[in-house]
Amino acid sequence: MAELVCEGVAKSYRGREVLGDVDLDVPTGTLTAILGASGSGKTTLLRVIMGFVEADAGRVTVGGETVAEAGRVHLAADKRAIGYVAQEGALFPHLSAGENVGFGLGRSERRQGARIVQALELVGLDASYAPRPSHELSGGEQRRVALARALAPRPRIVLLDEPFSGLDAGLRAETREAVLHALGEEQATAVLVTHDQAEALSMGHEVAVLRGGRLAQRAAPSELYRTPVDTDVARFVGEANIAAGEASGGRVRCALGRLKIVNGGVEGPVEVLIRPEQIELSASADAGGDGAHGREDGSGHDHAVRARVTEHVYYGADTVLRLTLEDRSHTVVKARVSGQEAPAPGEAVQLVVRGPVVVFPAQMSRTEST
Amino acid sequence: MLAGGASAHWLRSRRTRRGPGGLPLGLLALSVVAALVVALPVGVTIEQALEGGTAAIAHSLDAASPRTLLLHSVLVAAVATPLAGLLGLSAAWFIERTRLPARRLWTLLAVAPLTMPLFVTSYAWATLGTLLQGFLGAAGIIAFSYYPIVFLLAAGALRGMDPALEESARSLGLNTRRTFFRVILPQLRPALLGGMLMVVLDTLVEFDAFVALKYQTFTVHIYAQYELSFSASGAAALSMFSIVLCVLLLFAESRLRGGANYTRVSHGVRRPVTRYRLGRATLPVLAGFVAGAVISVGIPVGTLVYWFTQSSSAGLSGAAANVHFLGPATVTSVLLGVAGALLALAFALPISLLVVRHSGRMATLLERSTYLSFALPDLVAAISLAYVASHYAPGLYESVVLLVLAEAMLFVPFAVVAMRATLGQIEPALEDSARSLGLGPLRTFARVTAPLARPGMAAAGVLVFAFVLGDLGTAQVLLPPNLYTLGTEFQANSSTVAFAAAAPFAAVLVGLSMAAAAVLMNRFGRVRGLEAG
Repeated sequence: MAELVCEGVAKSYRGREVLGDVDLDVPTGTLTAILGASGSGKTTLLRVIMGFVEADAGRVTVGGETVAEAGRVHLAADKRAIGYVAQEGALFPHLSAGENVGFGLGRSERRQGARIVQALELVGLDASYAPRPSHELSGGEQRRVALARALAPRPRIVLLDEPFSGLDAGLRAETREAVLHALGEEQATAVLVTHDQAEALSMGHEVAVLRGGRLAQRAAPSELYRTPVDTDVARFVGEANIAAGEASGGRVRCALGRLKIVNGGVEGPVEVLIRPEQIELSASADAGGDGAHGREDGSGHDHAVRARVTEHVYYGADTVLRLTLEDRSHTVVKARVSGQEAPAPGEAVQLVVRGPVVVFPAQMSRTEST
Repeated sequence: MLAGGASAHWLRSRRTRRGPGGLPLGLLALSVVAALVVALPVGVTIEQALEGGTAAIAHSLDAASPRTLLLHSVLVAAVATPLAGLLGLSAAWFIERTRLPARRLWTLLAVAPLTMPLFVTSYAWATLGTLLQGFLGAAGIIAFSYYPIVFLLAAGALRGMDPALEESARSLGLNTRRTFFRVILPQLRPALLGGMLMVVLDTLVEFDAFVALKYQTFTVHIYAQYELSFSASGAAALSMFSIVLCVLLLFAESRLRGGANYTRVSHGVRRPVTRYRLGRATLPVLAGFVAGAVISVGIPVGTLVYWFTQSSSAGLSGAAANVHFLGPATVTSVLLGVAGALLALAFALPISLLVVRHSGRMATLLERSTYLSFALPDLVAAISLAYVASHYAPGLYESVVLLVLAEAMLFVPFAVVAMRATLGQIEPALEDSARSLGLGPLRTFARVTAPLARPGMAAAGVLVFAFVLGDLGTAQVLLPPNLYTLGTEFQANSSTVAFAAAAPFAAVLVGLSMAAAAVLMNRFGRVRGLEAG
């Protein structure tokens, strides 16, 4: 059952549409990440759900109860039982960590203190943190206390607004794990708003991509990554090579060879999405001829293509290569390979595309290949 | 998830009522009431003036003298206001941004002139001889008594400024001077304009100081007309011009300010700013601060000391005869001040919350309409309130309640400015978080906003308290016959030749005002728990 349902939510400011007809449902006990660039309307959507902003149209229900319906119902934010973790935590500076966590509890529960300790432990902090003034906490600890504060009164949903912004990479990963652990322990239904695709893909049971105030796609992370609805979403959720091609009979012919299509039934001119990690390299056998030449393999991906390494960026675990195809098109593609085996710039290589690819009819795509 | 009994207290289906523009209806209603109450004397005065006919209003400017006096008022405001802006801005910059020695002392001395009763200061200036009388004294006393408003607002804005802005400007090749003019000053503009607006409006309706310094202005003329004819309608007709002037200035300021709202504190990194070394400039700057302090605080305090030393023979006996009035006068003044401050805070709170949290045309309009309390000379405002009370609420007429109300109404704009300086620094996310944790608007205010804003709200109250102490015009009209205050006693005694008789009252007033200044310097525009010092 969906704990949170948004139907047709729309909001404009001075005639400028910020949200348009957004539908979203978040199943009980799961985390949905709302992924969008800045200005995509994700914060407005979150504030509509919270009750800080009234939508112009649409309805929001929480646990089956309508908390907002444009022009008819507007339950005040404090009556919605929705927990909220603001950017950078927003801890009350005049209260200690423990007083912050107990803030939303009833008086007796606050005095008794057990739930405060429990909530602190939930986010991986022990009871010794309770008396500490909030400004003495580190950035990561502040985010944890903010989550503990939101979870303590057992809300129906928790909304997290860019909860890891401003944390360094190590602390970010650690805090992210603590948050996932705490949400899991509480079996909380949660919505995470972020502009970071890695964060959205790694944390969300589902990811909703918001673009220009509209929901572009909602899917499980792997599905979103593998079969985005268009080239923009493809690029937004990860690095993408987009090549022009011609589809027929479940295959597409493009500069990277003749490849099997995931989404069959498309015919004619298309754009092909090939993720950098789909490209596999082998040292070039210095054979003659230009461009693609046939080599059937069991996968149904039939061509090894000759290319030369023009750029090499080392990330440790892997390396991203920029390759120029040695054909008439001189198409540039990116490949992600294991950090240890990457060829050096200038080296000639052969590439093969692994796994089927997604194609988009050419007219619906917006931009040229990268 | 856990939608069990624990969260059931949330689910009573109470809806937030919202008014036009999505403003919370309760807050809006309170603000409208406050604004209407403050604007009441202006409404009554307009009605009285129109009753006399528009011809009478036009005729009131017929003679040459009122026109000259109107010009005098405008001239003194035109000179004093920029001077007050300059003094306040430079004091703020040197105190907040340089390694000036004894900064706390200079802060206190930069705030103290505001809390010092103007009738004491101007009387002290007048006794120094004819040099400080007339235009020079009038412009000087206004500039040196009101520059602390600009100082307080500018210092607050400087403290809240993100140091990264200045660092970026420096990294782009701007030197200290150009950084000040291109980055810092534009951000101080709202504080500077807001402060100067209060100075100019206050100047136009100032009376006590100009009478003491023998400078004839339009307000002095209005008082004279009233005493001459004892007709409210004549004073009302003349007051129409000060109302028009006030409204014009309010419009001018909003145009000048443009879209820029008061500096919103960046909630990013709160790094302490680096202070500039003054180096060889230290001595000249210190000399400037000493000169400013001597003029604004030194003269009244020095004169007071002189009065005490001169309290020989005749004077001493006069002082002795009066000293048993000192206790009751102090009690009355303090009680009036506290009551006036509390009431002014009650009026100012909804409006400042509205302006800070729901900024927009409506909020700005309501806020600026409280400035109409500057549109009338105190005497005229007091008379119009007495008129309303005698007609519609005879029980209030000649009661302390009416006096407290009048004093509070007079100083609401100052309370709004002071509260706003504090409330604007409280992150909305804190209030949002409290709401998400199940607290309604009132409990959110009580448990989050109020505790955080406590220092700033205290400062707002103390500011009004000091102004009530320093008020004479309203008290003279509305004080019940059997009561007297420090101000009225000072006034009564200083008109005799024996200064010594007035000295004890002035001493208590100055002592209280210094205490108020000490509170202001530490608390104005401050938020609890956010910054140290």
